[in-house]
Amino acid sequence: MIRHFAGRVGQAIVATSGVLTIVFFIMRLSGDPTLLLVPEGASAQQIAELRHALGFDRPLLVQYVAYLSDLAHLDLGQSVVQRASVAGIVAERIPYTMMLAAGALLVALGIGIPAGIVMAVWRGSIMERALAGFVLTGQSLPTFWSGILLILLFGVALGWLPSSGADSLQSLVMPSIALGALTMSTFARMTRIAVLDELSRDYVMAARARGLSLRTAVLRHVLRNASIPVVTIAALEVGNLLAGAVIVETVFAWPGIGQLAIQSIAARDFLVVQAIVLFVSTVYIGMNLLADIAYAVIDPRIRLER
Amino acid sequence: MRLLVLLFLVSMAVPAGAQPKEALTVDMPGDVATMDPHLQWDTESYTVYRNIFDNLVTRDGGGKIVPQVATGWRYSDETTIVFDLRTDIRFQDGSKLTPDDVAFSIRRIINPAFKSPQLSQFDQITSADVTGPAQVTLHTKTAYPVLMAQLVKLSIVPKAYVEKVGDQKFNQEPLGSGPYRLRTWQRGVQSVLDSVDNYWRGKLPFRTVTFRAVPDGPTRIADLRTGRADITRGLSPDDAESVKADKSLRLLPVATERVAYLFINTLATPTRDKRIRQAIAMAIDRDTIMASLQQGYARPVNIVLTPANFGYVADVPGWPYDPDGARALIKEAGAEGAVLSFITSPSYDRRLNEAVQQMLGDVGLKVDISVTDQPTFLRRRQGTPEDAGSLSQGRWSCACQDADGVIFPLFRSGSIWSKMNNPAFDVEVDAARIVLDPATRLEHYRRAFQVLREEVPGIGLFQDYAIYLARKELKWTPTANEAFFIMDMQWQP
Repeated sequence: MIRHFAGRVGQAIVATSGVLTIVFFIMRLSGDPTLLLVPEGASAQQIAELRHALGFDRPLLVQYVAYLSDLAHLDLGQSVVQRASVAGIVAERIPYTMMLAAGALLVALGIGIPAGIVMAVWRGSIMERALAGFVLTGQSLPTFWSGILLILLFGVALGWLPSSGADSLQSLVMPSIALGALTMSTFARMTRIAVLDELSRDYVMAARARGLSLRTAVLRHVLRNASIPVVTIAALEVGNLLAGAVIVETVFAWPGIGQLAIQSIAARDFLVVQAIVLFVSTVYIGMNLLADIAYAVIDPRIRLER
Repeated sequence: MRLLVLLFLVSMAVPAGAQPKEALTVDMPGDVATMDPHLQWDTESYTVYRNIFDNLVTRDGGGKIVPQVATGWRYSDETTIVFDLRTDIRFQDGSKLTPDDVAFSIRRIINPAFKSPQLSQFDQITSADVTGPAQVTLHTKTAYPVLMAQLVKLSIVPKAYVEKVGDQKFNQEPLGSGPYRLRTWQRGVQSVLDSVDNYWRGKLPFRTVTFRAVPDGPTRIADLRTGRADITRGLSPDDAESVKADKSLRLLPVATERVAYLFINTLATPTRDKRIRQAIAMAIDRDTIMASLQQGYARPVNIVLTPANFGYVADVPGWPYDPDGARALIKEAGAEGAVLSFITSPSYDRRLNEAVQQMLGDVGLKVDISVTDQPTFLRRRQGTPEDAGSLSQGRWSCACQDADGVIFPLFRSGSIWSKMNNPAFDVEVDAARIVLDPATRLEHYRRAFQVLREEVPGIGLFQDYAIYLARKELKWTPTANEAFFIMDMQWQP
């Protein structure tokens, strides 16, 4: 078991290195930030001098080796735009995105899974149709629109919640809803399919025949079995949440790494982008590892096979 | 019990608006990049740090250059300028601002090892020396008439403090002599400034100012509506129209030194034929652009410069809107159906690109729009003439309010932006930048603009506006150089 997970960790490191290398070269191949840093009237020579001072005129391979060597010393470098340590800049923003992702996950799981269960158990009813409509809405509204709609309704018109910023628990509500909506729909649909699938199995019919109520059958047996595909999706959805956070963070002025990523990409602040990519791929790969462990816990067959 | 009722009634009687507003909140489209005034000079950064630092000179509400840290200046010869300085200014830690700090600040920003992105604005200065107990002398490479305009942007930093804490820490924890002191800076979130007691220029209107980073335009407007913010900048003309009806808010538009222009390649592609360029000038309906795309937040210009800049000449005429004349010229040039490439990036108003495409299509020129990201666009636009496309648009500001910062980089041969080789033009703009007498400079610029009118390497489309939105209680008049001095604002409920 340990050997297996060590192998998985090794694979994860290879995957992350691959991503970092690709991102490194792709960003630099389309140019450097010098042109964005200089005043409009700067001459060709002044631009060349700043480019040289910042080290962007070195051959790409030289820059790559220098970057790897810094990484080996756990040095993520300096931001050319902010003239500050990249590790510091990114570390300050990570907690905000973590909070937002947690809030969104809470919304998604808290609404999505019960909705999915209800839709499966009371299939064909009006309740299911209503919930299906609700789920479809969550899936269809793009966050850059749903975000501002939420702000206009709850922030401006009703005045219940703050219109932007990240200074209180109340300011977490709207961004979590906006970000969690799509994931909520995915969970609802996956849960519904998984539960429906289990409900059609023989063991459920047998349990019902023995006198077990539908409610007990669902709670004690069906949910546990249905959770396997849901756990898979959950691990993948974390990746989607981190991606979706970019738009939600921009609309709500939520200062997480999504917003930082967009701004750094536009400003060609390479080292910040690379640090974010490193963090996000680590999280994504870590989540998948966690999902694997969760399987082994939930499903004894997987444990035995190993 | 009766006492309580009495107190309650009394508290109701005091009007809510009688208390002065202590805290001002500003919503900005992004966060400060650096607090060190000698590093980044993007709008967000200097909006904040120009309230933390004083500059050697500044511009008044009418745009005239006036003393600040310097009390006066005189030219002892063409390349030597002597500044007399105030002696009553203190930095926010109580230490005195001395000529040493002024000389240090200038040397710091022109030092190539410091790698300031602003270096190109100050590199005509060769030295700065303390020459008296309240005096500093500057030398420039040649006679440099734009020096004072550039010094408007130079902040004075405390030598002792900077040397003690080092550049990195100074960027995090700046110390200036300005009216507001930095209390906290949460990167990406907000910066909070506190007013300084006994500030030398006078009384300050707010005790605390918070600058929040809110990237999304509609969100900033929502913040203004809910009162979460008191002022914001960077509204588009469409945003401005949408908030006009809100009585709790007030729009503050100002005509700036920024000129919206169309670049036309004179060295490559079909536009190297002058007749085609002149036809393009006649085919663009600038009045419609100003009315429809800019919603009236624009002023007409006849040249590639705004009246807010020194060097503006009103008597060099622009090309009239004359589509028939354009068609005739194109026919004469045998260029009907010619394909022109329009290079651009998402940083520029897409609708303007399409309007130009349509207007030129109407006179027989086919325009292909090619969109890339901003750095790629800049590389092409600043590259060889073959690479730079036939057309592109821009909104140019040198933040110096002088023609030298606009038409010299845009059109003088050898500049990375210029795709024109005209010796007559070069002679005029070269001469205008090494002579100090304004009247002589104006004559050179008049002749330069006459060349530009004939050769059409670019067309001035309009003088751009900056649109601010504030709560109606905030009294402030924005200026053409888009300065954001909290000291100039007042809250009147």
